[in-house]
Amino acid sequence: MVLPPFALHRPTTTAQALSLLAEDSVPYSGGTELLLAMRMGLIRPTALVDLKRIPEMQEIRTDRSRLLIGAGVSHDRLATDPLVEQHARLLAAAEREVGNARVRAQGSIGGNICFGEPRSDVATVLIALEAELGLANSAGERSVPAEEFFLGPYWTARDATELLTAISIPLPCAEGVYLKFQTVERPTVAVAAVRRPGGDYRVVVGAVGEVPVWADYPGVGEVDPVDLVGRTSPVSDLTGSERYKRHVTEVYIRRAAELLAESER
Amino acid sequence: MTAAQPATGHDHVVVAADVNGVSVTEPVPTRWTLAQFLRDRLGLTGTKVSCELQVCGACSVLVDGAPVSACTYLAADIDGRRVQTVEGLAARDQLHPLQRSFVEHFALQCGFCTPGFLMMAKALLDRNPDPTEDEVKEYLDGNICRCTGYEPIVAAVLDAAKRMRGQA
Ligand SMILES: Cc1cc2nc3c(=O)[nH]c(=O)nc-3n(C[C@H](O)[C@H](O)[C@H](O)COP(=O)(O)OP(=O)(O)OC[C@H]3O[C@@H](n4cnc5c(N)ncnc54)[C@H](O)[C@@H]3O)c2cc1C
Ligand code: FES
Ligand code: FES
Repeated sequence: MVLPPFALHRPTTTAQALSLLAEDSVPYSGGTELLLAMRMGLIRPTALVDLKRIPEMQEIRTDRSRLLIGAGVSHDRLATDPLVEQHARLLAAAEREVGNARVRAQGSIGGNICFGEPRSDVATVLIALEAELGLANSAGERSVPAEEFFLGPYWTARDATELLTAISIPLPCAEGVYLKFQTVERPTVAVAAVRRPGGDYRVVVGAVGEVPVWADYPGVGEVDPVDLVGRTSPVSDLTGSERYKRHVTEVYIRRAAELLAESER
Repeated sequence: MTAAQPATGHDHVVVAADVNGVSVTEPVPTRWTLAQFLRDRLGLTGTKVSCELQVCGACSVLVDGAPVSACTYLAADIDGRRVQTVEGLAARDQLHPLQRSFVEHFALQCGFCTPGFLMMAKALLDRNPDPTEDEVKEYLDGNICRCTGYEPIVAAVLDAAKRMRGQA
């Protein structure tokens, strides 16, 4: 099947890219989601604005108390970069298991979260790590907490004329465990359970519902799997019925909390 | 051409790339995938296309050493870069150690998946010359083979790795 026609712009600065964006002139990075959606006729942009030639979108660096990741950085780089391994081990671990080796080499962290596909490993982990997402348009910049970014399936807080420029993770980074259950290309359920730098705990449940859900607890012993499952919105599909998914989710929350508790003993 | 053409004049790009050691400079439609370009323009039909969903790996090729799904990768994106396909593996009539090993281990039957497996295996061994069996399985888990049952493929990759490290 062939792709529908489109114009291709290849800016080399964020400012140039922003001047080219419009409702039907869309950001394009690895294309692992966008090209598929275009081939299926779900999106029909007249132009793609390629972000891969913008150097700052490819940066990984630390700045005082934050780890800064350019939106164009690939999953594979995040999985293997020493700075990410040193400062945000949970993200590195999750990135190592995204999709397959080609998706990791081609796909970017920014494309993953901007697409808003519910079964994202990245979204779950970024909420656990309390990341801030840097958005820019030609009028200015703003920062949105990852917690407030995912509004629904394929729907995020990003406006069509905005670019996600960078992901900013506060340091020291929350540490913990990331567990997922997966039988096909994408996870059925994913659970991140972390101890936050302030000493309390956060459990995020992703992939199983329309958007990730989370709760904070003063102690790891207080994690309440039944309550948390009750907040998710699983739907029956090829990977399982709603009832089955609720069960698996509960089991995975419990296991993640247990593993986290064990790791602290 | 139909009315769906974009208004701007950017629907073609000139691509200058190194494909298997040969410099190629060609104008290509922006909408062309790398698989289309390799197969239909350059006649490199070793790269196969099947699922077009990035899940089967039949279209795996390397761009600047990184594995990509040529079915879902714009030809425009190879501009200024180096592409390696299965046709570039052998040195004249001398098979690449991976190819030799695939033959010896009967790691193919119909052969449709083979170019993709070979290129993924090359990508793995280029970054990790001494992988464990689990690492091989993990790295190749985005490639599907309907014939062999995978075991001979994993054995072939491990054996080729050993050979390439000069231990066999
Ligand atoms: C076979 C397969 C398996 C996968 N498995 C997993 C998995 O296990 N876990 C997981 O989390 N994900 C998985 N994914 C999703 C994968 O991570 C994403 O496809 C990838 O990261 C998207 O990045 P991209 O650069 O290719 O985005 P593109 O396809 O280029 O873009 C995606 C969307 O984001 C927009 N966009 C891109 N960059 C920006 C930006 N900087 N600012 C604003 N908008 C932007 C585009 O306009 C488009 O709407 C899988 C995908 C495939 C195809
Ligand atoms: S045809 Fe490209 S991955 Fe299947
Ligand atoms: S040999 Fe036939 S699909 Fe692998």
